[in-house]
Amino acid sequence: MSNNEPVIKRKDGKIGMNKHDLNMLWYRWQVGWFSSSSYEKLESHGFAWSYCDFADKFYKDDPEGKKRLLLRHSQFYNTEPQVGAIINGIVASMEEGIALGDPIPEEMPTSVKTALMGPLAGIGDSIIQGIFVPTLLSIGMSLAANGSVAGPIFYIVTWLICGLAISYGMFRYGYKLGLSSIDTLVGETSMRIMDAINVLGIIVVGTLAASMVAVSTIVQIPYGTEMGPLQDTLDGVFPCLLALIVTLVTWWMLNKKQWSAMKVLLVLVIAVIICCVIGFL
Amino acid sequence: MSGLIFPAFICGLFCYLGAIECANPLGTTGSFYCLGRPLVAGLIVGLAFGDVTQGILCGVAVQAVFIANLSTGGATNSEITYASYGGIGLAMAATKDPALAVTLAVLVGNTFGLVFYNLRMAGYSVFNNKALEAAQAGSTKGVTLWHLVIPQICTFLLRFVPVFVAIIAGEGVVNSIAENAPEIVTHTIGVLGGILPALGIGMLMNIVVKEKIQLVFFFLGFALFAFAGLGTIPVVFIAATVAYIYFLATGKAAAAAPAATSSENAVYEDPDLF
Repeated sequence: MSNNEPVIKRKDGKIGMNKHDLNMLWYRWQVGWFSSSSYEKLESHGFAWSYCDFADKFYKDDPEGKKRLLLRHSQFYNTEPQVGAIINGIVASMEEGIALGDPIPEEMPTSVKTALMGPLAGIGDSIIQGIFVPTLLSIGMSLAANGSVAGPIFYIVTWLICGLAISYGMFRYGYKLGLSSIDTLVGETSMRIMDAINVLGIIVVGTLAASMVAVSTIVQIPYGTEMGPLQDTLDGVFPCLLALIVTLVTWWMLNKKQWSAMKVLLVLVIAVIICCVIGFL
Repeated sequence: MSGLIFPAFICGLFCYLGAIECANPLGTTGSFYCLGRPLVAGLIVGLAFGDVTQGILCGVAVQAVFIANLSTGGATNSEITYASYGGIGLAMAATKDPALAVTLAVLVGNTFGLVFYNLRMAGYSVFNNKALEAAQAGSTKGVTLWHLVIPQICTFLLRFVPVFVAIIAGEGVVNSIAENAPEIVTHTIGVLGGILPALGIGMLMNIVVKEKIQLVFFFLGFALFAFAGLGTIPVVFIAATVAYIYFLATGKAAAAAPAATSSENAVYEDPDLF
C-alpha cells in the first residue's frame, strides 16, 4: 500500500513515519496546542499530546522509552504556534531518529525546543499578529463598511489559506531539513528578509495607529469673537495628532516603563475618565 | 424571550469555537484568528439573529477597537472572543446599534472576559499536573484525558454558559441601561472605545520596533493615512517597496564591511580608525 510508504527512505532499511503519521504530528499540534494552557505551563502539554499517536506506534514494545518521550515533551514550552511549527518539524525528524535507534541524545529535542522557542515566538508574533492578521482584517473591514458579507468572507478565505499554508509548510520544511532548516531561517540573507518584512510591518502599524485610534477633543477656543472647536484647528495643522500622542505614550509605558498590559489598560481608563469629566475629551 | 434562545445558543457555541484554547478542527488558525475576530463574529451573530447587514456593521465597529488584539506568552490585552460574541450578541439582542456593540464589547472584553480568561489560565495548572503524572506513567490515554478532554469540557462551560446567560438575561438590562444611562457615562465609554486600540497598537510596536530609529517607518505609515489619506491596500504596496529598498540597502552595508555584522559595529571595532 502506497499509504504506508515512509516519507523519508532510510539507508538502513528501518521503517520511519508514513505520511499519515507525520501529518498527525502536525494536525494534533495545530488542534491541541493551547488546550490545557495555564500561566504555569502554556503550550507544554500540547506538545506532549501531539506525540500520543507517535508514542503508541513507535514505542509499542518500549514502555520506558515511551515514558521518557512523553515526559521530555511535557517540559515548559511556548512559541507562536503557526510559524513555530517549524520546531515541531525539526523535533519530528529527531524523534523519528531516536525511535529508530539513531545515536541522537534524548536531550537533543528538548534543547532544540528551548533554544528556538524564543526567537521563533518573536518572528512569528511579528509576522502573524503584527503584519498578516491586522492587514487582512483592515482590508476586510473596508470591504464590509456598508454591511456587505464580502468583508468577512474575504478575511475568512484569505486568512485560512495563508495561515494553514504557513503552519503546514513550516512543519514540513523543518522535518525535511532538520536542524539545517534553522541555518536558513537565521542565516544572513533570511535575517535581512526578516528585517525588511519587519519594516513593512512597522509602516502598516503606523497606518493602523492613524486609522484606528480615534481621539478628538471637545474643547472650544476663541476664534476672534466667536468660540469654535479646537479640534478643527488641530485637524488643519496635524490630523490625528492626538491619536499619535496617545499611541506613543502607550508604547512608552509598555516599552520604557515595562508596565504590564493590564496596568496600562487601567492607566488609560482612568485618564479617559478624568479627561471626560473635566470636559477635554 | 423564547426567540432569543436560538441566537443565544449560537453565540455561546461560537464563543467556544473561536476561543484561543479551543480544540477547533482547523486549529488556532480557524479559532482564535478566524472565528474569534469581531469581523467574522459580526457575520455569524448577524446570521443567528436574522439580520446579517446589521450584524456585520456591529462587527466592523467592534473590530476597529480590537484590531491589534495580541496574545503573547499567554498574556492578552483583552479577551477578544468574549468581546466578540458577548458584546455583539448582546447588542444584537437589544438595539442592534454598532455604537452599543462597541461599548458592550469593550466592557465584556476588558472586564468579564479577562476575569474568566485569567481564572482559567490560573486554574488549569491542576490539569497540567495530572497530564504530567500521566506522561510519567507513559499513558497516552491519560495525557489525552487531562490535556484535551477535561480542559475542553471546562472551556466549553466557561465560554458557553456566561455568554448564553448574558444574552438571555441581559437583553432587558442592556435596553434599560442604554435608555437611562447618564450622558457622561455613555460619552466616556465611547471615548474609551476610540482610545483602547492604542493599547493593542502599543503592544504591536513593542514587537516590531526594535530600535528607536525605526520609528521613522512608523511615522511614514502614520503620515500616509493622516496626511495623504491612503487606505491599507495602497499602504501595503508602498510599504513593500520600502521594505525591498531596505533589503537592498542592508545587503550593501554587509558587503562593505564583510568582517562585521553591521557597518555601525565596524566603526567601533576598527582600532586603526583613530
